Amino acid sequence: MSSIRPGSPAAYWLALPATLWMMAAVVVPVGMIVWVSFWGGRAFSPESPLSLDNYQRFFANRTYMALVLETLRHTATMMLICGVLGYCIAYFLVVKVRSPAWRTVLFLAFVIPFWTSALIRAIAWVPFLGVNGVINQALLALGLADEPVEIFLYSRTGISLAQVPLYTLMASGPVVYMLAQIPPALREAAMTLKAEPVTVFRRVIFPLTLPGVVIGQVLVFLNVMADFATVQTIGGNKIALLPNLVINFYEGAQIRAAAVVAVLLMLCMLAGVAAALRVVDVRRLGAA
Amino acid sequence: MMDGTTYASGRARAARRPLLDHRARSRLTAWVLGTLTVGFLLYQWLPILTLSLLSFSGPTGGTTFPMNGVSLHWYRELWDASIMNDFKPPLGRSFLLAIACAVTTCLLSVASAQAMRGRFRGHGLFFYLILLGIMAPGLLVGFGFALVCRILGIETAWNTTAFLVHVSWTLPFGFLAMLAIFNRFDPKLEEAALTLGASRWTAFRRITLPIVLPGVIGSLLFGFSLSYDEFARSMFTTGADITLPLAVMAQLDRQLTPELYAIGAATTVTSLLAILACTFALWGLRRAQRR
Repeated sequence: MSSIRPGSPAAYWLALPATLWMMAAVVVPVGMIVWVSFWGGRAFSPESPLSLDNYQRFFANRTYMALVLETLRHTATMMLICGVLGYCIAYFLVVKVRSPAWRTVLFLAFVIPFWTSALIRAIAWVPFLGVNGVINQALLALGLADEPVEIFLYSRTGISLAQVPLYTLMASGPVVYMLAQIPPALREAAMTLKAEPVTVFRRVIFPLTLPGVVIGQVLVFLNVMADFATVQTIGGNKIALLPNLVINFYEGAQIRAAAVVAVLLMLCMLAGVAAALRVVDVRRLGAA
Repeated sequence: MMDGTTYASGRARAARRPLLDHRARSRLTAWVLGTLTVGFLLYQWLPILTLSLLSFSGPTGGTTFPMNGVSLHWYRELWDASIMNDFKPPLGRSFLLAIACAVTTCLLSVASAQAMRGRFRGHGLFFYLILLGIMAPGLLVGFGFALVCRILGIETAWNTTAFLVHVSWTLPFGFLAMLAIFNRFDPKLEEAALTLGASRWTAFRRITLPIVLPGVIGSLLFGFSLSYDEFARSMFTTGADITLPLAVMAQLDRQLTPELYAIGAATTVTSLLAILACTFALWGLRRAQRR
């Protein structure tokens, strides 16, 4: 018995507002993008005939196709960096830090920036990356470079530098959650049975945290794929990835082309999530 | 043949006596991972701190070092702003919007989480529907919503359309926070109240709600901070009267000045204050409950 009876009509009424809200604000708009991407003709109206013209126009352009690959490559790099970093940090915080006070302090230092503006955090990289930026000043002062390096601002390196701290938490959080669920006795049992620490990690700890790793990777994947703001802030107008193309088309009043790019972005994301779900049954997480 | 034997015996010796014993190796791992973690934390915080430092640079200070003196010049500049870049109205809008989102998120997540406990038919689908708000990127949601508005002829504005879309982003976080709290919740407490003759509503109000209050505060924090900082969704759904992140981006497109650093430092402090207020509320709650 609880304050709500299982299967009671009250549950439906309680769920109704959120259901309507999410339908109106997420499901219908996303469906609308798909619909609009098939609109043929010249006028922007629901009476337009449906056609594949918009897609044909997009796929005929080599530059755009290269951009798709470029975006996937950049995303894969970020997943690798954030994944490895995130796992190491999670492992250190949960397993290696013994004092609860230190763990709390380090954990807060790790998490708090997530609640501050990602846009401001991206802008904060600008004084570092310029030709006269902090990184170049440091390199010159240390004698590691003879003249300012120009690869930072308006470059993919700069974008990656700014994105890694934004998304490492997403890769790390689920792993922290999974690591904290592992009973210490399990480790001790494996150690008592004379397993090497590396073997314990490889055969016991890592498989148990795998769902966390996969969820973290999905989060990084989805967010990096769609992050146009950091790219715009650091890359200026010189670098564009797929999500920036949506904005460019939208601002150029090429709504249907923007819809096509958005659908492609969506398809990439769905494929990524589907692949992840094949590796891990996410629904079992709640039971773990 | 000869090489093979030496290799094999060498490997046997290595297996018998490893380079370091377990404890030393474990300590070495801890050091390596610890250095990495602290290094990452520095890497994460340094830009934010640098930005704050540079916002105090002198009137002739540029966007990077040297600071050319220390002053509150850029903050004063922010205060008596010109018409072109007056950040005060956007700040006010962002703040009101964030408060509205916090309250709405809180109410909807409590209702949704309570509904989930009712295990109604289709509650699995309902769970995924709400989680879609996290999974669907702001770019797609915002763009799609702009299309809907265009087709239906709805005027976009910060306090109508942007509010609707912001809550779809903040709700899943509050919902997950509430579910996490309910998972640790002991239903026996409710049972006791019901056995003693309380109605279900009274049991919820007097027993359940006070116990899950940390989740309620968490959902308020998520609602406030995520809406306050939201950029992608706002970009498509805000209309002419823009919110703070949009004003910041517009200024960045025009020119990067230390004024932008000042606004960055100020909003970061606002976010930190929101976190601090919630942490204190949680701490006070825990103390009150222990008594």
